[in-house]
Amino acid sequence: MKPIEAQDVDGIVVSHEEVADDFRHLKIKIEGAFVDAKPGQFVQLLPGRATSWPLLRIPLSISHIDLTASTFSVLYEIVGSKSEALSRLRISDPVSCLGPLGHPFPPPPVGARPLLVGGGIGVPPLIHLGAHLRSGGLSPILIVGARHAGKHLPPKLLSPATSDLRQATDDGTLGHHGFVTDLLAVALKEDVASTATDQPVIYTCGPHPMMAAVARAAEEAGVLCYASLEEYMACGFGVCVGCVVERSTTPTSAYEQFTRVCVDGPVYDAREILW
Amino acid sequence: MTEGTNVDLRVNVAGIELANPVLLASGTCGYGEELEPFLKLADVGGIITKTITPEPRAGNKPPRIIETPSGMLNAIGLQNPGLEGFVEHKWPFLSKLDTKVIVNIAAPTVEEHGEMTARIDALGGVAGIEVNISCPNIKEGGVLFGCSPTASADVVATVRRNTDLPIIVKLTPNVTDITAIARSVVDAGADAVSLINTLVGMAVDLDARRPVLGNVTGGLSGPAIKPVALALLWKVRQAVDVPLLGLGGISTAEDALEFLVTGASAIQVGTATFVRPGAAAQIVSGIDEYCRDAGVTRVTDLVGTLRS
Repeated sequence: MKPIEAQDVDGIVVSHEEVADDFRHLKIKIEGAFVDAKPGQFVQLLPGRATSWPLLRIPLSISHIDLTASTFSVLYEIVGSKSEALSRLRISDPVSCLGPLGHPFPPPPVGARPLLVGGGIGVPPLIHLGAHLRSGGLSPILIVGARHAGKHLPPKLLSPATSDLRQATDDGTLGHHGFVTDLLAVALKEDVASTATDQPVIYTCGPHPMMAAVARAAEEAGVLCYASLEEYMACGFGVCVGCVVERSTTPTSAYEQFTRVCVDGPVYDAREILW
Repeated sequence: MTEGTNVDLRVNVAGIELANPVLLASGTCGYGEELEPFLKLADVGGIITKTITPEPRAGNKPPRIIETPSGMLNAIGLQNPGLEGFVEHKWPFLSKLDTKVIVNIAAPTVEEHGEMTARIDALGGVAGIEVNISCPNIKEGGVLFGCSPTASADVVATVRRNTDLPIIVKLTPNVTDITAIARSVVDAGADAVSLINTLVGMAVDLDARRPVLGNVTGGLSGPAIKPVALALLWKVRQAVDVPLLGLGGISTAEDALEFLVTGASAIQVGTATFVRPGAAAQIVSGIDEYCRDAGVTRVTDLVGTLRS
């Protein structure tokens, strides 16, 4: 599967708003290939007026695409000085956009029911995926977790992705009091109960421990699971070899022991990764 | 962009005829393929491959990179397919490029540098060999050779015995006196010198009270090191008579021109490519534009023109 050829082009901020505690929704108008980006692909952003900070771009998954308006959206959490620099972008500011980058989520096997499991800032690519699956006539379940109610993205952002939203919080302030893996276990049982042929497929993105737990649950249930990894990146297109993770299998060449998340991923069959 | 102008951007570095003085630095452009969507490789003077070693290397455990003020630390650890993997999988693409290809090598022993050189020489079509005796992120070879005048000379003499191709030696700034190493490698047969490789640095995660990088220390690159690179270039310029390839934080045409006037015959673009993959080609255009505006007809007329 060859992704769309990436480009380095300038976009313009058309909206930028807070959508949850420290979470921002940034919508960028752009020409070219970005609006054809597939779910799971990401973009490397550089605030247009940035001079010396940040030096490196900020990799973010695409959450929404509006073909008519020629815009794409990213959702990010202000967690450090780089995302803080991004948060200073105002409407009409230029943003340098490199992308779309990486391999998208593979389509579900025929007849499989997609279960989308996201946590924190891992939810955005699942929104894009859910909307894409629904446009193809599928009905994905979206399971999302957050530390507390204020960290959950609002329903208006999640609704394009699913008609079956299930939420969890670590502190019980919204939805299930506990982890997304609890909700995943319930959803997996539902599927088994429906029809024997209705095999589920899991798509996950979120904090590493959460994805590791989802991958483990998938393995135990014998269910196919695709995980979209998030690692610190410099280039985003394969030359710096900085964003690597270790493979679970012993490769024939030592060169293959670590895989580059930006160009070999970010989406992997969860069994390929050493969690 | 250069149509209709008569600026001569060609430079000859130790017998390598470059269409312009801008090269892609080793370790920042892979083996060329990944840059193709963003950069016409024929637009740059040359490409210096990511270091290859005799055997394939897995590289260091992550995390491998972290941004620091005006720079970044990396500790990749020379992840590469090894000499034969390079010949089989990377060289076929590189050999067809309409630009000069310089192959960068490193090895754990002096002897293996010679064996690698002979194999690369035999490929035919390689423009030159850059010897990496300055990688700070591996346990054997690399900077262990580059910190000692005698060990670096041994490596270079061995490479020299195995090829007539131009030999470029990439120097580390992590030494007391870089000019001693420069003199030593030139006496041993180096045709040119690249400087500088990265500066050893470290980042700390205060909350975790741990080093950020899996390798604990890494190499600092980016705009933060440009003044250091210029100072060392200036020093080495006065110590040896071979062509110098300057690198260290070059992000713009102005940066590149500063290196040229300080005495570099050509320059290398590294970390800037991570941020703007087309940076090297933009720098070529910018140098051309500067020359036109300044009435400079040959870019070589700028080299070493620093008034001091």
